[in-house]
Amino acid sequence: MMELFFKPRSVAIVGASGSPGKLGYVIVNNIKGSDFAGAVYPVNPKADEILGYKVYKTIAEIPGAVDLVITALPTPKMTVSTLEECAQKGVKAVIIESAGFAEMGGEGKVYQQQIVDIAKKNNIRVMGPNCSGIVSRDIVTSIYPMTKKVSRGNVVLIGQSGLLAAGMASDIVENESLNISKVCSIGNKCDVNENDLLEYFGDQPDVDVISMYLETISDGRNLTRIAKKIAAKKPVIFLSGGRTEAGAKAAMSHTGSIASNAKIVEAAVKQTGMIMADDFTELKDFAKVFSTQPLPKGNRVAVITLAGSVGVNVSDLCASHGLELPKLTAETTEKLKDMFDTPVSNPVDLYFSVTKIGFTKTLETTFPDAFRDANIDAAVLILAGFEYTQEAVQKKIIQKIVQDVGKPVVVCMIVGYNKYKHVIMDEMGKELPVFPSLISGVKALSKLCQYGMRRQKLSA
Amino acid sequence: MTTAQILSRARQEKRKVLTEIEAKSILGEAGITCTPTVLATSREKAVSVSEEFGYPVVLKVSSVDISHKSDAGGVKVGLKNRAEVEAAYDAIMTSCRAYAPGADIEGVSVQPMARPGTEVIMGMTRDKSFGPVLMFGLGGVFVEVLKDVAFRIVPIDGNDAAEMVDGIQGKKLLEGYRGKETADKARLQEMLVQLSTFVDATPGIEEIDMNPVFAYSDGAMVVDARIILSEE
Repeated sequence: MMELFFKPRSVAIVGASGSPGKLGYVIVNNIKGSDFAGAVYPVNPKADEILGYKVYKTIAEIPGAVDLVITALPTPKMTVSTLEECAQKGVKAVIIESAGFAEMGGEGKVYQQQIVDIAKKNNIRVMGPNCSGIVSRDIVTSIYPMTKKVSRGNVVLIGQSGLLAAGMASDIVENESLNISKVCSIGNKCDVNENDLLEYFGDQPDVDVISMYLETISDGRNLTRIAKKIAAKKPVIFLSGGRTEAGAKAAMSHTGSIASNAKIVEAAVKQTGMIMADDFTELKDFAKVFSTQPLPKGNRVAVITLAGSVGVNVSDLCASHGLELPKLTAETTEKLKDMFDTPVSNPVDLYFSVTKIGFTKTLETTFPDAFRDANIDAAVLILAGFEYTQEAVQKKIIQKIVQDVGKPVVVCMIVGYNKYKHVIMDEMGKELPVFPSLISGVKALSKLCQYGMRRQKLSA
Repeated sequence: MTTAQILSRARQEKRKVLTEIEAKSILGEAGITCTPTVLATSREKAVSVSEEFGYPVVLKVSSVDISHKSDAGGVKVGLKNRAEVEAAYDAIMTSCRAYAPGADIEGVSVQPMARPGTEVIMGMTRDKSFGPVLMFGLGGVFVEVLKDVAFRIVPIDGNDAAEMVDGIQGKKLLEGYRGKETADKARLQEMLVQLSTFVDATPGIEEIDMNPVFAYSDGAMVVDARIILSEE
């Protein structure tokens, strides 16, 4: 069933428009700009042609089957009658983008219930209302104008809010900051909810990471069951809005009075092995780390720096995020003894090595020697924005070494000249997780280690 | 009475709160060890039950209308002989009738005084979205003030139970801190799984408190229990 949303053979847009700027126009234009190769049927009683596509007055008029209908209509009432037409046509998948339903309360709630009833009776799966649907290489139903084609990446993002998900999608695609495959906005979740998508993406072999933002949890019991199954094979990053400390009800037991929504959600995250993000940036950042880096076997980290004071700060951050900084082995210490004035320690301060053999050579030899150490599972690499750093990044020296060593790394950028810093963040950020602060990098790495260790335990 | 009989009787009587004796009987059927607790509907019966158990014993008011038994003066502990049991019975009746004049008081529950162990709390509550949720924590001030507890969503497996027990801040107190008796963590975990299996298979229960549970180095015992039924 879900395939009809993501790989439809034909799609109708009800409420399609020929006026640039209107939502009904943006949607058609986005589909046109995607790799969608099936039939496109704009539906509008007052137009003949939109963006080169023949326009149909009603759904019934469309020749042949329609796999997916997208609606962007001004009133909920029109949406309800469109759903009736979909039922008559035998359509099985509908994305309702328009707002004005349960989120408004009152009449909107009634209209949404009518949609649910029609959908149930006719076996139609409905995404939305109040959503922006799907952003992918194969089809884009979003209300944000897309400027580039979506990558065929390994990350999917599931969001509840229409505008935010669409905005994040557009941002990620524009900046190529994440190897995205699909962004789904599920809005009011009157039918298709996070559990449907989690199960679907859990089974898709080309999806490696699922990142999910929810304002409400439709069915927590099933979410727990499904997420536990999926998170055992691929990371599920989870941001939950509206967590409160207040008890959900007037409880007659101790247990009931302590069981706040926040505590229950937190318990579900622990129980399932999902990775909790605390804001939208983390939702994206964690996905970046998980989708580009191998899973570590433990939490033993090497901190690679050019300045001692930075190393101290990162060590503190590591400690408070459950990461360990072990000593390097005797072999490594011996191997690197000429590169340091005192025996190498952790944080690994590359300054001495740089003064002896230069920056590039240090990155090529000293850094990988320390990183390969048997006591080390992962590394935090701290870079500054200077010309020589930029050169190393552009020659992909760091990227190559990281790939060669085969252990996870996060890069943190601090100080330096902005023009270099930005180039490094943007250039290297396409391949490696690069963070603008120490704490964000350390936190992301701690999540990766935590998850890696859980997977180790599960497979033991 | 079996669990099914207790639940259906409570439904017939339009009761949401089960008595301690009913709650313990249900938990016992689920495999969870509780202190043996017997209803005594008269002073004489209270004495004969006490003699059978052996002293010391605990008397608690048994009434579906009195849920805060201590506040009502309905709990007397450490009763060492016949005279103390008789006096306690009378005192409970007088005090509870004054506290809740219209209450239907069926008598007192009698149970042997359990050997003190590490106090823990286990419980269940039902969430609209997540369904039944289990809680584990250290009892007394740890649960009431510090809220040092761990939750999991039903059903849980042995691994989840182990993470609950090891997931509380005060877990050292279960491990024989400062020469105290260790707590049988394996048994506590097993009890959580039993509780999970029970609530998963038994619809209609809204909340459960097992508080306190005394944990010993070999086993654990539910000393007081409360079960609240869902609205029909």
